[in-house]
Amino acid sequence: MSTVIARTVVRTVVPLILVTAIALLLQGHNLPGGGFIAGVLTATAFVLIYVIYGQDYLEEAVFHRTPVPSLEMFRHGILEYYRSAFGLGLALAAASGVAAIGFGEPFLTQTVRFLHHVPLYGEMELASALVFDLGVYFTVVGALLTILAVVGSE
Amino acid sequence: MQLASVALAVSSPQEPSQSVVLAVVLLPFAAAAATPVVYRLLGERTAYSAAGVALACFGLVASLHGTEGSVAVQWIPSLDVALRFYVDGLALLIGFLASGVGVLILTYSRGYMHGEDGQLRYYTTLLTFMGAMLGVAFAADLITLFVFWELTSVSSYLLIGHHRRSASSQYAARKAMLVTVSGGLFMLVGFLLLHAVSGAALGDPTFDLVAMLSNAEAMQTALADRGLLVPVVALLGIGAAAKSAQVPLHFWLPDAMEAPTPVSAFLHSATMVKAGVYLVGRFRPMLLGDAWTTLFVALGLLTMTVAAILAVGASDIKELLAYSTASHLGLIVAGFGIAEKVGAETGAFHILNHAAFKAALFLVAGIVAHEAGTRAIDELGGLRHDLPITAAVTTVAALGMAGVPPFNGFYSKELLFEATYEVAAHDGGLAWLLPAVAVFGSVFTFLYSVRFLMLFFGDRPDELEVHTPPRVMIVPAAVLGLVVAVLSVVPTVGVDVIAQSAFESTASTPGEAADLPHIHAGLPTEASPAALMSAATIGLGAVAYFCYPGYGRLRDWVRAAVSVDPLRPNWWYNRSVEGATAISSRAAPFVQNGLLRTYATWALAATSALALGGYAAAGATLPGFSGVELAPATVIVLLVAAGGAVAVARSPSHVVGVLTLSILGFMIAIFYILANAPDLALTQLVVETLVLVIFLLVLDRLPAFYGEVATTRLLRDGALSLVVGATVTVTVLLATANRSPDPIYDYFVEQAPLPTGGGGHNVVNVILVDFRAFDTLGEISVVGLAALSIVTLVAMRDRGESR
Repeated sequence: MSTVIARTVVRTVVPLILVTAIALLLQGHNLPGGGFIAGVLTATAFVLIYVIYGQDYLEEAVFHRTPVPSLEMFRHGILEYYRSAFGLGLALAAASGVAAIGFGEPFLTQTVRFLHHVPLYGEMELASALVFDLGVYFTVVGALLTILAVVGSE
Repeated sequence: MQLASVALAVSSPQEPSQSVVLAVVLLPFAAAAATPVVYRLLGERTAYSAAGVALACFGLVASLHGTEGSVAVQWIPSLDVALRFYVDGLALLIGFLASGVGVLILTYSRGYMHGEDGQLRYYTTLLTFMGAMLGVAFAADLITLFVFWELTSVSSYLLIGHHRRSASSQYAARKAMLVTVSGGLFMLVGFLLLHAVSGAALGDPTFDLVAMLSNAEAMQTALADRGLLVPVVALLGIGAAAKSAQVPLHFWLPDAMEAPTPVSAFLHSATMVKAGVYLVGRFRPMLLGDAWTTLFVALGLLTMTVAAILAVGASDIKELLAYSTASHLGLIVAGFGIAEKVGAETGAFHILNHAAFKAALFLVAGIVAHEAGTRAIDELGGLRHDLPITAAVTTVAALGMAGVPPFNGFYSKELLFEATYEVAAHDGGLAWLLPAVAVFGSVFTFLYSVRFLMLFFGDRPDELEVHTPPRVMIVPAAVLGLVVAVLSVVPTVGVDVIAQSAFESTASTPGEAADLPHIHAGLPTEASPAALMSAATIGLGAVAYFCYPGYGRLRDWVRAAVSVDPLRPNWWYNRSVEGATAISSRAAPFVQNGLLRTYATWALAATSALALGGYAAAGATLPGFSGVELAPATVIVLLVAAGGAVAVARSPSHVVGVLTLSILGFMIAIFYILANAPDLALTQLVVETLVLVIFLLVLDRLPAFYGEVATTRLLRDGALSLVVGATVTVTVLLATANRSPDPIYDYFVEQAPLPTGGGGHNVVNVILVDFRAFDTLGEISVVGLAALSIVTLVAMRDRGESR
């Protein structure tokens, strides 16, 4: 699979996919997109690297380190990152809900603020739902990559 | 003077403070949660901090003394379930036992558990248990009561199974769990029946126990009108009998003695097994009647006698005490069963007396086992030389257990004799069996009590080597011995402080003017029938023990009787558990044979059958299909998708199958675009891509081409897919035909862009992250769980059973 063409295409395409994913995540509140789609798309980008370059390359060249796996049967320490990603995601989503309780609102109540006169943007919308969506994003990315890594190592 | 003021306080109750009641119940749970940290700091001395927590609870319970009333915190308002607690005499009595005995047990554990494994687990579970037991005592909501009730069973399971490597300990834990938890389920059914009936009796259906008890007559009439009185009494009776080890559900209790001895003293004599008799006492004012009396008097006297006989056959000191506990609980149940007021007096007073002398004896048994290294009755003797203080404690407590005057058990047993005599004198005929059985059972109680006492007297066997117990084990036993002594010398103290008000809660409904007699506790001054019955018990017991037939011969007779298998509930239990295991291991290969297609067949067929059956049962009729208008582009897309589906079925290999399957997926994505659902389309596209990659990764492991398939299997699979397709079609037709005229999406579309609503223009996303964010949270938890399951299934499949 790893022909020169494939390698070159992946090098170009992966950054584009990641930027698209982030754009989808950020614009999700007003335009098509959202945490779930962005998460799946990000996972797809990693899958491309993984299929074309292999798991080890992902570990060494992308993350620049090889973490030691906590469980001896994981062939790839990178699984630790994936697992902490979806742990972080779940915690973030739950925390955004609990934060609402702190303001005396029911669990998971969301709110928006509009900022005016921001340089370049003019008007900007800050939605607390974005935090929750980030949680969704990290959960999806972490979980999908975990599944892929485990199934792929077989 | 002090006693008079206490009695006065009881007669004019104040409302309990909500924060104190909540603190009593929640403090042990909080302490249990903190135990891992505490244990790291204190190590084995965690015992003292846990005892401190118990002492704090005891103080809080004591501060509630004299108050009466309920407090409530919302829990599930939509179902009218609340964390409702009710403070009265009975609740306080159980509360005092749970916290007071808790202090002594936790202190004693410091010595008993010294150097043992799993102490962190031990103290955490004990504290959890104490919280659950206090919860049972004070709960005034049927659901809350049930939750705490089962929590005590679960903690009991963990504590009995404390020695994880011992097979007998695991067996005993499972048995206790199965019996008590399934008994609890019967009780739950009874609670639900009460809830259902309460609507008719009280206006609104409620789980509020106090409301039910306050309108006891209305409840009982409503139950009787519906023919539910006997079922409810029986269901609650089964729950209580399972928990309080009543015959024939008594067989788990002797096995439970696998637990460390402090646990046996705490859970299996003083507190947890008292939950059953507590339930009986609690519901007595509401359900008392002929059915009640028949059931509980028969159950109680039968248990009292049978368990006392079994105790005589015991060969192990803890086994003896276990049967004895069941026997005394039978006495309490029989007391509560008797309709006369003196019956309730018996039950309430004996709860206190039994807890005091039985906990003391268990601690003695623990000291003996710990210091002499054996629990076999035949190997022990003459212990008073090495364990003088323990011997003194045993003398007081064992004579109390035997019902010898002037020791504490005598007073409450005297009340039982009086109650049975009154019933017999009133009803005549067969009712004369009651006093006869009571005396007969008590003779055996006397016998085993004397046998236990004799461990400390007579000659010491030469091979027996006894060490000196640590002070931390002696002191709690001595404190309990002192309590027994005080209750023996001045029984009115126990009555005035707590037993009288506990009796009043079991004999009258809340708020009723308590025009009740005072419990008479004292030595008989004349030859009353009860006094004569006591004299007969002791006389017959002494003759049987020392002259004819003698303890040894009696014991052999009992052992010969219980060696007949069908007479032992244990044998039935083992047979049914083994039978159930055998059936499941025979059934499993048919349903779960390790082939994915079998699982899929069962799951799909069952889902379709249930769904179609559900529609048929609900009488749903298929709406007339008038055709839909489709744009030409949509028609083309759907046709291509259908073509893809056919191609999947005809594909010769996995790779071709997966690739053609993705035609279907991408066509659905295009369909979403045509249907103006860009979010769905985006998701579908990305997911389809990802699934394709995952499939290609997995395909590597599968054979490249399909093998030959038998025609019958093809037919079966074909039929199944037709059924599944039909189910989906019917579901879609039914679901779309029954649209509400007032659709929900108007609200979402209207609210989503508003700053007060979602503040976003993408309605789908606003629904996901705002309106329905709780659902999304659930969904991402499922995603996380799926990943964890795959890690467990694939990466860890070589572990597990082998380790």
